[in-house]
Amino acid sequence: MSVEASPMAIPISADRTRRSTLRLRLPKVSRSVLLSSLTIAVLLATWTIVTEMGWANELFLPKPQAVWAAFIKTMTRGYQGATLLQHLGASLYRILTAFALACLIGIPLGVLMGVSRNARALLNPLIEFYRPLPPLGLYTLLVMWLGIGESSKLSLLFLAGLPGIVISTIQAVTSVDPVYVRAAQSLGATRRHLLFHVYLPAAGPLILAGMRISLGFTYTVLVAAEIVAASAGIGWMIWDAAKFLLSDVVIMGLIVLGLTGVVLDLMMRGIAKLLMPWA
Amino acid sequence: MMKRLVATLALATLALTAMARAEDKPAKVTVGYLNLVNAQLVTKHLGLLAREMPGVDIKYVKVGGGGDMLRAIAGNDVDFGGLGNPPTAIGATRALPIKGILVINMLDYVEAMVVRTDKNITSLKDLKGKTVAAPFGSTTHYLLLQALKDEGVDPTSMKILDLAPSDIAAAWLRGDIDAAWFWEPNLDKAVKNGGKILITSGEMAKRGYPTWDIGVVMNAFAEKYPSYVEKFVKAECEGIDFWLKNPEKTAEIIAEELSLPLDDATRMMTGTGMVPCNKQLTEDYLGTSAKKGKFVDTLVSTADFLVKQERLPKLLPRADFETFIQPAYLEKVVGR
Repeated sequence: MSVEASPMAIPISADRTRRSTLRLRLPKVSRSVLLSSLTIAVLLATWTIVTEMGWANELFLPKPQAVWAAFIKTMTRGYQGATLLQHLGASLYRILTAFALACLIGIPLGVLMGVSRNARALLNPLIEFYRPLPPLGLYTLLVMWLGIGESSKLSLLFLAGLPGIVISTIQAVTSVDPVYVRAAQSLGATRRHLLFHVYLPAAGPLILAGMRISLGFTYTVLVAAEIVAASAGIGWMIWDAAKFLLSDVVIMGLIVLGLTGVVLDLMMRGIAKLLMPWA
Repeated sequence: MMKRLVATLALATLALTAMARAEDKPAKVTVGYLNLVNAQLVTKHLGLLAREMPGVDIKYVKVGGGGDMLRAIAGNDVDFGGLGNPPTAIGATRALPIKGILVINMLDYVEAMVVRTDKNITSLKDLKGKTVAAPFGSTTHYLLLQALKDEGVDPTSMKILDLAPSDIAAAWLRGDIDAAWFWEPNLDKAVKNGGKILITSGEMAKRGYPTWDIGVVMNAFAEKYPSYVEKFVKAECEGIDFWLKNPEKTAEIIAEELSLPLDDATRMMTGTGMVPCNKQLTEDYLGTSAKKGKFVDTLVSTADFLVKQERLPKLLPRADFETFIQPAYLEKVVGR
């Protein structure tokens, strides 16, 4: 590109330059796709070979066909009273609700703690204390307080997602270049203007990164959340199938869960590109 | 350098193997025991296993229910374990490397369905629209579904939740559930807090659905240390004898092990059926190596039920369940 922009370069070989740019670019994109596909292909091939040769006990590692069959069966006939889509719906409802709550509370909290040193000092002990607590330990208490219904599950997922988002929002806000702030202030910006026109746009990309990490944390406690008294949900399905040693269903559930995570992450990145083209 | 390392490693391996041969003794034995009321607590409390296996590090691990025990077995985390008949049927069907060697207990009213008194539940039909809990994959989950089926009540007409026994007790105290089929020591907490017993596992046994727990050993351990399997069986048999001969002292032990008042421990004890070891070799229980007993029938019918519930892929032939039951160790201990 820079070559084309330079007027000296054009007369020499504009055509060749463009071609070489093309040659350099296209393979680059398809190369990473190719490499990613290669990883998946190698994984699938190893899985097939290991199971076909009988190197693995089928109880622990079922054949890919068995997992596929479990997928088809759960899609059409369901697993213990709910189809795969219903299980997925129950889990996604829990994850997305809890995640939305974590964002709604976490981002303002993070901004507040980022802008105000007093707020940070006040709230930091709480966040820092519960952040490393293992979710299952927390869960016992949540079940005792809130019961075995949805509220304890949502709370656990919410609490798992919250600290990541708060901490990265604080980080994002404190790392905003003070020059931006001073420039805006010298132009007469109010606190409100500063927040919406300087802090949030400048911190946006980092906040988004925090949101992505936080969604990952929410995913990590899904199975734990659905162990207690759920009767639908991918996490519950995995847990229940493990009790009956149905490893094909377990592996299928994990793959489905992983794929939805990837899709959600892609969607978040897409939204970010739309909202923050400067990032 | 590499060569020397390999040589050293090889020597060390040889030496270790030789040592293992010479002693033929496991360094450590891990016993997974179910959290319920039976003579395994006596064996543990009196250290009978340690007496049989001097110099062996014995570790007891408490396991909440059959589902967790299956996972522990599949993960090779225990050498000996205990399983109810549904998890046993699951394990045998999924070809877990275990054998059944001993009757731990027969389940009478130590397991029962408790219902909330103020909900006017007098029969299983009244459970429609209610919330019912049971640990999925356990004996009581099996009996719950079996009982509903026998009375023609549709299980989807109520909310059946999967909860561990301790969680059932907590949920009961909060009022989250209307009925639950589970076992002591947690069952009592529900009964004492606005509950009454609707049906017991003992009554289901009379209807032709006996439930029991069986002691299992990992195949690899049994092949390597067969004499230690006998020692294990012997220690458990001593515990059972103690239970049968000294009910008062046993109650004290149970009360201490489970932190219960003595009266409760005594009552829970009578709800558990302990089978003397020589009787275990009769037709009603394990049977003999030559002619296996009724435990095989129970396993076949339990597995059949689980297949119909789509919890198991297929029903194995009877012979597979017969090979699972191995009275040989008990026969040696009893002296037959």
